[in-house]
Amino acid sequence: MTEIKQKIKSFILENFLFGNDEGLTDETSFLQEGIIDSTGVLELVTYLEEEFNIKIEDDELIPENLDSINNVTAFLQRKANPELKTAAC
Amino acid sequence: MLIHNFLENSATKYPDKVAVIHDDQRTTYAQLNTQATNLATHLQANGITKGHRVALLLENCTDYIIAYYATLKSGAAAAPLNPGLKPDGLQYLLNDLEPSAIITNFKAERLLKAINLDHLNLRALLISNPKQKWTNTPYKVQTLEETTTAEGPVSVCQCVSVANISPDDLSSIIYTSGSTGKPKGVMLSHKNIVSNTNSICQYLSITPSDIQMVVLPFFYVMGKSLLNTHITAGATIVINNRFMYPADVVNQMIEERVTSFSGVPSTYAYLLNRSPLASCKEKLPALRYCSQAGGHMAKSIKLALRQALPPHTQIVIMYGATEASARLTYLDPKALETYPDSIGQPIPGVTLRVLSQDNKEVPAGYEGELVASGPNIMAGYWKDPKDTSRVLSEHGYHTGDLGHRDSQGFFYVTGRKDGLLKVSGHRINPTEIEDFLMTTDQLIETAVIGVPDHLLGNKLVAIIVPKQDTIDPNKLLESCSKHLPAHKIPSAIIETRTLPKNANGKIDRKHCIKIALNQLSNYAPQARHKPSAYSASPR
Repeated sequence: MTEIKQKIKSFILENFLFGNDEGLTDETSFLQEGIIDSTGVLELVTYLEEEFNIKIEDDELIPENLDSINNVTAFLQRKANPELKTAAC
Repeated sequence: MLIHNFLENSATKYPDKVAVIHDDQRTTYAQLNTQATNLATHLQANGITKGHRVALLLENCTDYIIAYYATLKSGAAAAPLNPGLKPDGLQYLLNDLEPSAIITNFKAERLLKAINLDHLNLRALLISNPKQKWTNTPYKVQTLEETTTAEGPVSVCQCVSVANISPDDLSSIIYTSGSTGKPKGVMLSHKNIVSNTNSICQYLSITPSDIQMVVLPFFYVMGKSLLNTHITAGATIVINNRFMYPADVVNQMIEERVTSFSGVPSTYAYLLNRSPLASCKEKLPALRYCSQAGGHMAKSIKLALRQALPPHTQIVIMYGATEASARLTYLDPKALETYPDSIGQPIPGVTLRVLSQDNKEVPAGYEGELVASGPNIMAGYWKDPKDTSRVLSEHGYHTGDLGHRDSQGFFYVTGRKDGLLKVSGHRINPTEIEDFLMTTDQLIETAVIGVPDHLLGNKLVAIIVPKQDTIDPNKLLESCSKHLPAHKIPSAIIETRTLPKNANGKIDRKHCIKIALNQLSNYAPQARHKPSAYSASPR
C-alpha cells in the first residue's frame, strides 16, 4: 500500500511539480491546486493503466477516484479488490 | 476603437450585470473594469506601457480577464501563455517574448521556479495568492490582489494618456504551433481584433442576453474571441475548466441556462460519446447555438451532433486561423444540411480567394490555396520576418490550406498544403481516410499519419479511439479494402484511449507519429502491403 502511494506521489512530483513537493500533501486536490489540467488527467490515467495493469472505465473518470494522492490510492485498492467497492463508497 | 473599450463601454452600460461566472464566483462589469484599471495604473507606475509585453500565465479565470484588459489599458501587448507548459517550453517562449511583467497565480509558481527568470529584464512578477517564497529577485514580486485594489482615486484619463495607443498598435502576441518547427508569435493589433470581434458579433447576433459557456482556453485565439465578443456585447461568460469530467460541463450548461457553447472537433467528439449530452435534450431550452472551429470536423460528428442537440439549437461551423484574429468564414446554420462539408462564406469585411501556386485565382470547382485579406490579418510573426514573408504577400495571408469554392460561393477545405503524404508515388490527403473511418460509426476520433518507409515513401497508420472495447480492427481494415483504393488503406491500425492533443484541443500529429513509431518498433515487421492491427494501451 505504501509502495503504491509512493509510486503515485513520485509520478505526480516528476511530471507535474518538476521536483518541487512544497505544499503537496496526500489530501491536496489536483484540480484546486492546478497541479493537473485536462491533458494531465489523461497522462495520469495512462500511467496508472500501464503501471498497475488495470483498465479504467469512462465512468470511473471522476474526481473522487483521481483528484488526490489518497483518492488515487484508494481507487487502485478498490480496483485490486473488487469486493471492497461498496464499502469504499 | 481599442479592445479594452469593449469592457469600458459595457461597464458604462451594464455596470451591475454579471459578466463572468466561475464556479461560485460572480463578477460584474463594473468590478472587472475597476480592477483592470487599477492594475493598468500599477503596470504603468512600473514603466510598463506601449512597447512592452506582459505575459499572462493563467488558466481561464476571472483574474485572467482582469489581467488581459489591464495589460491592454496600460498600452502594453498581452501575450497569453499556457500554464500547462513544461519548463523547457515556457523558457523558450519567455526568452523569445522578453516580457516586462508576468501575471500569474499560485498554480504556476512551481513551473516558474523551475525556469530561469533572472536574465529576462523582467520588472514585475504579479502572483495571485502566492504560496512559494520569492526573495532576492532582480524584479519586483507582488500579489495580484494588492495591484487590483486602488490606494486612491484612479485616474482613468491619466491611464489613457500615458498609454497613447492607436488602433494599429500591437495588442497581443499569440503563439501558434504549426505542424513543423518552433511556436511562432502571431502579432495582432487592436484593429485586427476589434474588426474581427465586431464582425463575429454581427453574424452570430450576440446580445446581452447571451450566456456563453467557455471550455476552450483564453490563451488560444478562439477562446480569446469568445471573451472579446461577449464582453463587447455585454453578455455573460461561464468559465468551466472541468472538461476532463464532461458530465460536469453538461450539468452546468443546464443549471446556468447557457445560450451558447463553442468547441473544436475533439470537444464535440467527447461531448457526444463520453457525456450525457444526448439524454439531456429536453433540459437545454436556452441553448441557442453551438459553434465549431479549430479544424475540420468529420461529417459523421456533425450528423451525430444534430441528433443529440435540441432541434432549436443551431450548429455554426466556422473556419479561421490565429493569423486572422481568428475568424475568416462561417457557415450559415440554415445551409448546413445543403452544404454539410462547407466552411461557409467569408465573414463581413473579409475576402477569401482560391489561388494557384503562381498566385492566380482559380475558377469555381478547382483546387488551390485559400488566401485571405481583410482588417483582421496579422501584422506578422514576432521577431520572425522570414516566416512572415512566407505567409504574407500582396495577395494576402496564405493560409496553407487547400480548398475550393463552389459556384454558389461556398468554400471547402480539403487539407493542409503540407499535410499531404506521399505513399507509393501517390499524394494522399489523410483527411479523406479519416473521414471514411469516421463513417463506420465505430470511432470517437481518428488520425491518419504517415510513418517514413524506405520502400513506400510513407506508410499510412491510423490511430483510432474506438467507441467500444469490442471493436475489431481487422473488420475496420476489411471495410477500408472494400471502399478505398489500395494506396489509401492504412498499413496498421493502433488503438488508443485518446488522441494526443495540443492545449487548444487540436490533434497533435507529431505526437501521433511518435506513438506509431513506438508501437511499430515493438512488433515484428509485417509483410509488405499486408495491414495489421494492434493496441497501444490495455483495452
